[in-house]
Amino acid sequence: MVKYILKRLLLMVMVFLIIISICFVLVKLLPNKPAEQFGKDMALIEMRREALGYNKPILEQYVIFLRKSLLGFDWGVSESLYLGQDVWTKFMEKMPATVVVNMYTMIFAVPLGLLFGIYAALKKNRWQDHFISTAVIVFVSVPSYVYAFLVQYFLCFKLKWFPFQVKAGYDFLSWDMFVSMVPAIISLGFGTVAGLTRYTRAELTEVLTSDYLLLARTKGLSRAQTTVRHALRNAMVPIFPMILGEFVGIMSGSIIIEQIFGIPGVGPLYVASITAATPDYNFFMLLSAFYTLIGLLSGIIVDISYGFIDPRIRMGSKK
Amino acid sequence: MKKALASLLVLCMLFASVAMAETGATEPSYTYNTAASEFPTNWSPHSNQTNTDSDILDYIRSGFYTFDFNETMDGYVVVPDAVVDFPVDVTADYVGDEWNIAEGETARAWKFTLRSDLKWQDGTPITAQDYVTSAELLLNPKAQNHRADQLYSGNMVVENAEAYLKQGLAAPVSFGAVMAEEGTDLEGFLAAHGEEKGYINWSYSFGDTYDFDAKAWTGAAEDAVVETPLTVQELYDFYTTGEGMTLASGRGASAEDMLSYVPDELYINYVQYPDEMSFDKVGVQALNDTDLVLILAKPLEGFYLYYSLTDTWLVNEELYKACETVSEGVYSNTYGTSVETTMSFGPYMLTSFQSDKVYTLEKNPYWYGYNDEANEGLYQTTKIQVDYVAEPSTRVEMFLNGKLDVVGLDANYMDEYSTSDYCYYDEGDSVFAMVFNPDMDALKTAQENAGENINKTILTVKDFRIAMSLAMDRQAFCLATAPTNAPAFALYGSQIVADPENGVFYRTTDVAKQVVVDFWGLSEDIGEGKLYPTVDDAIDSLTGYNLEMAKTYFDSAYDTAIEQGLMDEDDVVEIMVGTPNSTGAFYNGGYEFIVNNYTEAVKGTKLEGKLTFKRDDTLGNAFAEALRTNRVDMLFGVGWTGSTFDPYGLVEAYIAENYQYDPAWKPAETDVTIELNGESYTTDVWTWYKGIIGEKITATKTGTEETAELDVYSDAELRIQVLGALEGTILQNYDFIPLMGDSSAKLKGMQIEYYLEDEVFPLSRGGVKYMTYNYDDAAWDAYVAEQGGTLNYK
Repeated sequence: MVKYILKRLLLMVMVFLIIISICFVLVKLLPNKPAEQFGKDMALIEMRREALGYNKPILEQYVIFLRKSLLGFDWGVSESLYLGQDVWTKFMEKMPATVVVNMYTMIFAVPLGLLFGIYAALKKNRWQDHFISTAVIVFVSVPSYVYAFLVQYFLCFKLKWFPFQVKAGYDFLSWDMFVSMVPAIISLGFGTVAGLTRYTRAELTEVLTSDYLLLARTKGLSRAQTTVRHALRNAMVPIFPMILGEFVGIMSGSIIIEQIFGIPGVGPLYVASITAATPDYNFFMLLSAFYTLIGLLSGIIVDISYGFIDPRIRMGSKK
Repeated sequence: MKKALASLLVLCMLFASVAMAETGATEPSYTYNTAASEFPTNWSPHSNQTNTDSDILDYIRSGFYTFDFNETMDGYVVVPDAVVDFPVDVTADYVGDEWNIAEGETARAWKFTLRSDLKWQDGTPITAQDYVTSAELLLNPKAQNHRADQLYSGNMVVENAEAYLKQGLAAPVSFGAVMAEEGTDLEGFLAAHGEEKGYINWSYSFGDTYDFDAKAWTGAAEDAVVETPLTVQELYDFYTTGEGMTLASGRGASAEDMLSYVPDELYINYVQYPDEMSFDKVGVQALNDTDLVLILAKPLEGFYLYYSLTDTWLVNEELYKACETVSEGVYSNTYGTSVETTMSFGPYMLTSFQSDKVYTLEKNPYWYGYNDEANEGLYQTTKIQVDYVAEPSTRVEMFLNGKLDVVGLDANYMDEYSTSDYCYYDEGDSVFAMVFNPDMDALKTAQENAGENINKTILTVKDFRIAMSLAMDRQAFCLATAPTNAPAFALYGSQIVADPENGVFYRTTDVAKQVVVDFWGLSEDIGEGKLYPTVDDAIDSLTGYNLEMAKTYFDSAYDTAIEQGLMDEDDVVEIMVGTPNSTGAFYNGGYEFIVNNYTEAVKGTKLEGKLTFKRDDTLGNAFAEALRTNRVDMLFGVGWTGSTFDPYGLVEAYIAENYQYDPAWKPAETDVTIELNGESYTTDVWTWYKGIIGEKITATKTGTEETAELDVYSDAELRIQVLGALEGTILQNYDFIPLMGDSSAKLKGMQIEYYLEDEVFPLSRGGVKYMTYNYDDAAWDAYVAEQGGTLNYK
């Protein structure tokens, strides 16, 4: 197992470096000359670009990036989005809002998704199952921003139960903050609940019709016992990594939901770093490196988790 | 004794607490709540970049001068703000080589006396030396501050400011500029610099790049001055006798022509400024705590001097230096990015800021203005709160629930609220146009690349561009894309000020009106007994849409194109329209409108079924340059902004090679005749432009060989006359065709009242300074609740 993990980690470092190198080259190939502004001294802008090393050969810039950012963990300052500010500090300042709102969403969505999925599986082909399955199709098909606007319109504008925007401040775990996040949590949660319900129902339906469950029932176990002890545990093998993946994803924000509900998170950063007037290289590379690393690590964690959920699965074993 | 003292203390505390409680009860709060769709990120006076950034700056700083309403409240005046009075001309005190000021010169050095009660938000006094230190920080060559050019690139050019910033900097400079600098002719220049590296802008000179290794033209060119592998002498030979000459002669240029282009089109890497310079040589000098002298490189006085100083470069030195970092030689500064890194010296101070969320400003107790009698009854707003709300629908819903005091209206809400009593319209200073690329060489190349039977060169036929202008239903275009905008019929909008000293708006002048009627061909129909009794009637009748006439022009353009061999009868015209992206509602709606509008317009003409459009929606940041670089054939929604008080300087945007949309037009070779004081004078567009920005010019008296030196700058009327002639000339090219004016609509909340109902440029309706409140915050909340939580603004 340890050998397997080490091997995966080494491979991960290699993949990480390849992805980061590709990102670096591609973003540097984007046009980055600022638009001509009437009355603006373009020579001054060129002076800044020269000082930043933008006119050096890409290979030389890449070596500087590797030495400074990857080895020295200095990701530099923003030159476009948040001019003059340290990109790592800014990223970390914005991360808690995204993490907290996603965490609340998971706390609300995962149990609901599992419950609906189990219920639908147990009521397979009855009206309850049809109702849940139809709702799932609707919520999976409709983009989250559509019901985000509906939630905001009814709960915030019409009924006035919640504020339009997430509360300002850094007290992310306070009650007031939670209340202000409810519309966003609901909007984000619909998709997760629907996805998890559909997946759980499908897996559980398959397991519930297995021969060994029939054997368990004939041995005298109650329906609840067979469902919880045997069926659910086996169904969780593919479901659990999905839940784990959702938790890993809490660090990547949703552009649209964050914008609609005024969540000062990291959602819009990645796209903005490329679509800014001139690409914000330092922000783009930090975000690329961070999310690549998170993605690769989560892949390893998910793979390892299989062994814990189902002891029959042994990673890296040749036996 | 102790007991008595203790009792006295308790009594005092009791009185104090009661007094404070009473004060709190009698001082209501008035919060101005707004929402922004973009959020400020850097409001340092040295590096702010966007209008949103300057939103904060406008509240937390005071310039030397500011605008205020005139006595009749229908115009503006410029009044001293951070200084006690208008400046004193002290040029005579600075005569000599040190400041390059000759005896007898005026308006080159000005003394400003600061208010003695000018303070930072922490109560520390601000002195003249703070302005000097701030200028030094602004011009720090290592910082390359984005706003450093405020001291040298506008009307106000501070002596040696640019030289200090760019000390030791080498940059490509045209041969001609170096020759002028060194006082040599071309021969002398080549003898001195012949062995140095040569530079060229391939796009501008040839529209093509020569590959010296492959010894062939590549067919593409970047619009930038780039290094060549040749020396200056070799590049000169290449250009005047080598491959460059061969290509140019194929296009009809003579050797003499090429020789005449050399000074402007070939470049050398040249150190223009001294290697090292002391800041003492920069024209910002403190005489004492309150007197500051600005020494200028060129004379400036009156309105433009005061206007240049409505902005300021002042920063708090201690805080600024604490915000500096240098990493591997790269300088950065976080001044003006948070509450902790912000120091106000204006009417409000920043009290909270959360990135991409919200910021608040409250009254700065140390601002001198609150003790000024002139401000009595003003500045009722105690707090300003700006929320970042990205979605327009959310902003409107928040407004209707009383959470915002003002909200901008986009196309989706205009039907509902355009007739509301609470709806206000603001006019901007820009005219947006549709622009065409009539560059024959570029169009030929694009046409070849587009494939068989595709034609683009018809764009070089002026009748075709006239037809495109006349066939554009501007009113319908505005309704389809941006309903708050109105059709535009000239280069400059109604907010452009031609005589700022006297507050004369350009479009209200007879000259400007005549430009419009001439351009739209109405001049003959004006007069007693004619279609339009007055010029104003004619202008009021304008729609810019004449489909019948457009069809005639389409036919004549087609005939001309066939006659000149530009087009075959089975060709289809294909116009590549550029947009920055594929998601913007304005560009999507605009493109769709253009396609439908022109497809319909050519019906019944010889171009029926032969006019097609394609779209390049990947231009992004290169949108404005896409025509100059020949990526596309047409753009729409382009224009220049920010020169409201200087339409004269803005002419450069339409005639300078690095700004103009039509790369083929040569203003220096286009003569314009203007009648001034009863005499007709002729010279080229570029020379007339130099005249209206302050240079003495030479023009030929029309019909004679006689020349005369003209000063068209000093006389406001002459200046406007020349501006009008230049506007007319640029319009007559039909490559920059006015489409719509820039205006916006908003709803004002019931909590606040504007000072004026009508907009007075540039003060709008008085802003926060003059804004009054119908309810304080508590009463407003109660009122909204009383209305059921949602207000009716229809």
